[in-house]
Formats: sequence, C-alpha cells, structure tokens
Amino acid sequence: MGLLNFTRDPVPEAVSADMHNLNQLSAQQFSALTEVLFRFLTEPKEVERFLTQLSDFATMNKISLGPLKNIVKSILLVPNGALKRNLSPEQVRADFIALGLSEEKASYFAEQWKVNSPTLTRLAVGQTLMINQLVDMEWKFGVTAGSSELEKVGSIFLQLKLVIKKGSQTENVYMELTLPQFYSFLHEMERVKTSLESFS
Amino acid sequence: MAAPRDGEFAALQSLLKAPSKDAVRQLCQECFSSPPAGLGPLALRACPGLAIGPEEAEQLVSALHNLTRHVVYRGLTRAEDILSLFPENFHQNLKNLLTKIILENISAWKSEAQASQISLPRLVDMDWRVDIKTSSDSISRMAVPTCLLQLKIQEDVALCENNPVVSALTVELSKETLDTMLEGLGRIRDQLSVVANK
Repeated sequence: MGLLNFTRDPVPEAVSADMHNLNQLSAQQFSALTEVLFRFLTEPKEVERFLTQLSDFATMNKISLGPLKNIVKSILLVPNGALKRNLSPEQVRADFIALGLSEEKASYFAEQWKVNSPTLTRLAVGQTLMINQLVDMEWKFGVTAGSSELEKVGSIFLQLKLVIKKGSQTENVYMELTLPQFYSFLHEMERVKTSLESFS
Repeated sequence: MAAPRDGEFAALQSLLKAPSKDAVRQLCQECFSSPPAGLGPLALRACPGLAIGPEEAEQLVSALHNLTRHVVYRGLTRAEDILSLFPENFHQNLKNLLTKIILENISAWKSEAQASQISLPRLVDMDWRVDIKTSSDSISRMAVPTCLLQLKIQEDVALCENNPVVSALTVELSKETLDTMLEGLGRIRDQLSVVANK
C-alpha cells in the first residue's frame, strides 16, 4: 500500500478485508450504505438513528450486523482523516483505491464527499476550541426612579446578563451600563462586525 | 434624608467661628462627600481650624452633612426653597452664605450621588480584538475569524469605598454570536429611542 493521504499511521489489518467485502455489494447497496454514513457524519449526535439505520440495512440486505459494523468502522477512517487534513475529493478517491475499494465505488464515495464537505467542514470548525464562549445575552433597561440619596432620579440604566461557557459549565455575568456606555458599546460591536466580515 | 432638626441648625452656628468663607465652603464640600462613617475623623480635623472642641465639631459636621444631603435628596434648586429650611432666628448672613455655597455645588453633588448609587457591577471599559483561527486539532487548515472581547467590570462602588475591585472578563464570540448580539443591541437602541421620543 502506498502513502495514504488521510493518515500517516499504519492502517489496521482488517481494513483490506473490509474493503474486499464492500466490493461485493451492488452499486445500489453501496449507495444506500453511503447515504446512511453521510447522514451520520453530518449529524454526529444522532447515534441511535445511525445504529437503527445500519441494523435495517443489515436486515434488508441479509448481511450480519457485526461484520457490517466493522466495515463501517473501516470506511469512516477515511472521511475522518480527510476532514482533519482538508483533503480534496480526488485524494479521498485515491485513498479508497489504495485501500482496495473498486474504482467505481471509490469515485462514488468521493463524489458524495464533495457534496457534503461544506457541511462537514462547518461542523469541524464548530468543534474548535473557544475560550469563554458567549452563549447567551439577556437584557433589560429601565428608569431609576429614586434612591436613598436622591428623591427623584429619572436616569436610564441598562442591565446585561451574559451567559458564558467556561469549560463544561456556564457562568452568568451581570453588569450595568449607562446610556452613553451602551451607545459606545454598540458602536464598538458594529466595528467588530465590519472587521469580521472583511475577513470572512 | 430627613430635614435637619432645630438642634442641628443650632450646631451650624459654630461656623461663625470659621476663619474665612472659603473655609466654610471647603467644610461643606467635605461634609457632603463624606459617608456617615467618615464624619468622626472629619470633625477631628475641623477642630483646630474652627477653634472648637471635638464634641461641638462633631455636631457641626453631622448637621452640615445632613443639611447638604437633604437638599440634594429633595432636589431643591431655588434659593427660596433652601432659605425656608432654616429656622426664623438663624443668623442671617450665615444663612445666606450657606445657601449660596449649596447652590454653587448642588449639580456637582447630584452627579456625585448618582455616580455612587447602588447598582449591579458596572462596565467600565471594553477592548476587543479580531483573530483568525488558522488551524486546530479538528481541522488542520482553516481561516475562521473570531472576536475576543474584554470587559472590565467594577464591583459596586458603595461596597468598595476607595478600592474599587475591577475584574476583567474575556469572552470569545463567533461571527454568528456577534450578529445575534448586535440584533439584540439594535432592538435595545430602537426601544430607547421610542422612550426618548415620548
């Protein structure tokens, strides 16, 4: 096996056998299986649904679930590595062929990869580390009617509650802004937006 | 802040021993700004200047504090209103001097009271920076802009007296989060302008 694009580590022994088994599937069966796989990749939280769909596929095509799961594990190695390394569809196709998959099936898979890669890339980016991520903002504003020092006040206040994700917990931060501060905050945030947009 | 009592006005007459009008002015300002706990030390400091004993000084300082705070509380801005606070037989010139000094300082004192009122922690400063994330463990090449926002928040002034505690909080926002936040801020601005136009 030549140098693979999706990984530098040696590939497990079982993969060749799994690819051989995959080649035995008809084009239609392979297409159905690929669909199940990509649906899982684009929605990685739906583990239950994925397992159900795999089990349905196994029943419908008279394949045992155990071996099918192993095959799926082998197949998934490629898209996972490809995502990390920003591989092109051609590279994905080349890797499958190098692993022993037929040209026809490798091309089909690479095509599906091309179609799904924007969604998958977005997902991977979304998993990237964020420090103290802002998850929610609540606000209220009102008028201070009076205080112990001033019988009648009539000044406007704005209160913000920021919900920040710190590790696996969320923390609430409360603060108050005066009106001029609010306008200056809004102005700065609009500048940030312009800056972010110019880099997108 | 309740209106000063007659006994307190009597204590004010100690001001007649002040060396100058500026000394009276100075004392008025210090008495207003001092919190109740600081009046004791202030009285002791005032003793030598006025040539009065500590007990008399304490009563004077307390009376001046109450008078100035009462005027600010009620929001009195006209000379007549302030003059009418004093009892009938109060020293005429001193009454006029005190009224004049109070009127001079009233708007500054009002701002001071507002600035030191209780509140949630206040935003005192904000800084931001935009980074481009180029690589991570989940994807080796990317160009994702992200914003880091640092908010400096000061704890309630009244709790900290002279040493305000300022904490810095750095928050990261993605472009989507920023857009949502701006939407929210825009809605606040619209509602504020509705309130302002009423």
